[in-house]
Amino acid sequence: MSETDFERRYQQAPCGLLSTTPAGVVLDANATFLRWIGYRSEDLVGKPLTSVLDAGSQLFYETRHVQVLHLQGWVSEVALTLRCADGSRLPVLVNSVLVDDRKDVVRTAVFDATSRLHYESELVRARRAAESSEERVRLLQDVSIAFGVTATDEEVAESFVAVAREAFTAIECSVHLRSEAGVLELVAGVNPLAGKVPPIEVLRNTSDFVIVHAEEAESEFPLLAAGLRLARLESLSITPLIDGAERLGILVCFFARRRAFDDHFFDLHRALGRQATQTLVRVRLQRQLQHLALHDQLTGVANRQLLQQSLDAGIAASRQTGAQMALLFLDVDNFKSINDRLGHSAGDEVLRELAERLRTGVRVGDIVGRIGGDEFVVVCPDTDLDGAMSVAERVLALTREPIVASGVPVAISVSAGVSTYRPDRDAGQTGDEMLIRADGAMYVSKKAGKDRITLAPDAHQPSPRT
Amino acid sequence: MILAPAQDVLKRNNVTVTGNPHGRTLVFAHGFGCSQAAWNLVAPHFEEQYRVVLFDHVGAGESDLSAYSRTKYDSLHGYSDDVLEILDALDLQDVVFIGHSVSAMIGVLAANQDPSRFDALVLVGPSPRYVNTAGYQGGFESADIEALLDALDANYLGWSAVAAPMIMANPDRPELSARLAASFCSIDPEIARHFAHVTFLSDNRADLGRLTVPTLVIQCTEDVIAPREVGEYVHRMVPGSTLTVLEATGHIPILSNPAEVVAAIRDFLQ
Repeated sequence: MSETDFERRYQQAPCGLLSTTPAGVVLDANATFLRWIGYRSEDLVGKPLTSVLDAGSQLFYETRHVQVLHLQGWVSEVALTLRCADGSRLPVLVNSVLVDDRKDVVRTAVFDATSRLHYESELVRARRAAESSEERVRLLQDVSIAFGVTATDEEVAESFVAVAREAFTAIECSVHLRSEAGVLELVAGVNPLAGKVPPIEVLRNTSDFVIVHAEEAESEFPLLAAGLRLARLESLSITPLIDGAERLGILVCFFARRRAFDDHFFDLHRALGRQATQTLVRVRLQRQLQHLALHDQLTGVANRQLLQQSLDAGIAASRQTGAQMALLFLDVDNFKSINDRLGHSAGDEVLRELAERLRTGVRVGDIVGRIGGDEFVVVCPDTDLDGAMSVAERVLALTREPIVASGVPVAISVSAGVSTYRPDRDAGQTGDEMLIRADGAMYVSKKAGKDRITLAPDAHQPSPRT
Repeated sequence: MILAPAQDVLKRNNVTVTGNPHGRTLVFAHGFGCSQAAWNLVAPHFEEQYRVVLFDHVGAGESDLSAYSRTKYDSLHGYSDDVLEILDALDLQDVVFIGHSVSAMIGVLAANQDPSRFDALVLVGPSPRYVNTAGYQGGFESADIEALLDALDANYLGWSAVAAPMIMANPDRPELSARLAASFCSIDPEIARHFAHVTFLSDNRADLGRLTVPTLVIQCTEDVIAPREVGEYVHRMVPGSTLTVLEATGHIPILSNPAEVVAAIRDFLQ
């Protein structure tokens, strides 16, 4: 074959052929390649190949293609996009080889891959869209499972932090919930700005999702901007957790990089925020129901069921530790006459006030409960006889102050009975038996003239006679 | 920063230590798209005189992929923390950190975090921000970065579909080339996407002015990734830095023109 034959075959090959330096400067290109991109040889030779690549391909070529080519000696089927003279784009597949003997020339073959790459990119896009919505569904599923087993605010907050960090690729997240006093308190996660930046109320009280970037916060929130920088953070987002008119708290996400936050990001934030809010509401409702189930509705102190539980738990603890415990049985003196004279609502007022005084009179750890119309019980864990007597005396002293009911001061007193539990002596005794003994002692107080304390005899002795 | 145990760090980042154990320490850090192999033609020239430390960023080469965390590596700080952990694990002070491409900025962040570890920085083809913004020309628009992600997608789809390479540099032992390429430059596609995001959408301009370590900026002629103006910007913003402009073109002089890079580093170290 003659040289011109070779030349013709090179120039007219059904693919683009070119040579470049190892750094990518074009040395020659065949006619096919030049025809495809619409440049003359003299326009291209001496220029870097990147000058006819679109920006994405430039980045890929310079970071990936060149490095693999040099290390491996070849690359194949690299997908690049050529920028033609008329402004159009030509997707191509490229094979390159570093010529073995000299290492200073790269030979490259270029194949038109318009339809294939178009088809593939459609596939990739479809796959990404599917993955993205699948991820969203999975995330919302995960979070509803995680939230499903939560029973406390803390657990909801912990789950929310874990999910949010993953979902938003945040370096830290924190959940702050409003306390009963209305103050936002950190409940879960980490707040990298704590103690460094004073709280900014306008952000903490936001009613909408908000993003703050350090770069743009300089003028409005200079302290926050400085704090973010110091903590190597670029942005933070705040998602309010609002149920109707009630602001439950906020989720804060911290980002170490300025990112382009898209609709997907916002939607997911809102969706997760809604779910967390609903869960918090559910948990609080449950807590409320639980409270209602175990507390006396009139006075708010423990009801019979909770008292029974506390008593059993106290006895079990005594058996384990060997410490004593005690029980106070209290009955309001002449309560029926108050009801008869002033009416039931005044009677209720008296009971409420008495319960409040009892709560004030007992120690931390003692449990006050109401078990009947005018009967109260105090369970005193880890308490000996002297301790129980001093609690009883304090409580009785507090009840002697007149109570104003329906505008009328009412003189009040209470009769008390005390029973104790000594694990060394009363091992077999039950809570019910303790109650019966204290109740019996209270009757002794009544019979002896009311407004006094009687200690129940030891369990193995006969009950005091009335 | 919670420090991982030294052995874990060295394994995580596939750290290799070679060269002269009594010499100054040079730490070479690779850029986006490759692994420590990117330094194959440069690092060996320093082994006689210097202790040479090489490593793979998590997600690249033979690093421990299970150590990849999207939250940690969502900013270059995740990578610069790793650099400090490696120096700590090897108990190194006063190192010369030589970072190519994105690793140049990773070195800047590490040196700002703990200057006592660093004697000098060599930044090869640095760019503190790739995307143009008001008053600053990084060379790219954010749409271009999206196009890179498309290019990554297009190529990873191709790679996974192709079993047999069409052109082989070493036809006698094809499995060798393939294996070397796989370990040299292997990158996990999903991690590469995220790393591309983090690399090309970061803005670390503000960190340049805080550098207190002697710094050499090595700039190529006609580098589309890190254009001349960007190299000059870095030089201007880093107090007391030196700028060396190579005749080499492109963004990968460490492979396309290693001799010139070696000479520039040698000049600076002396």
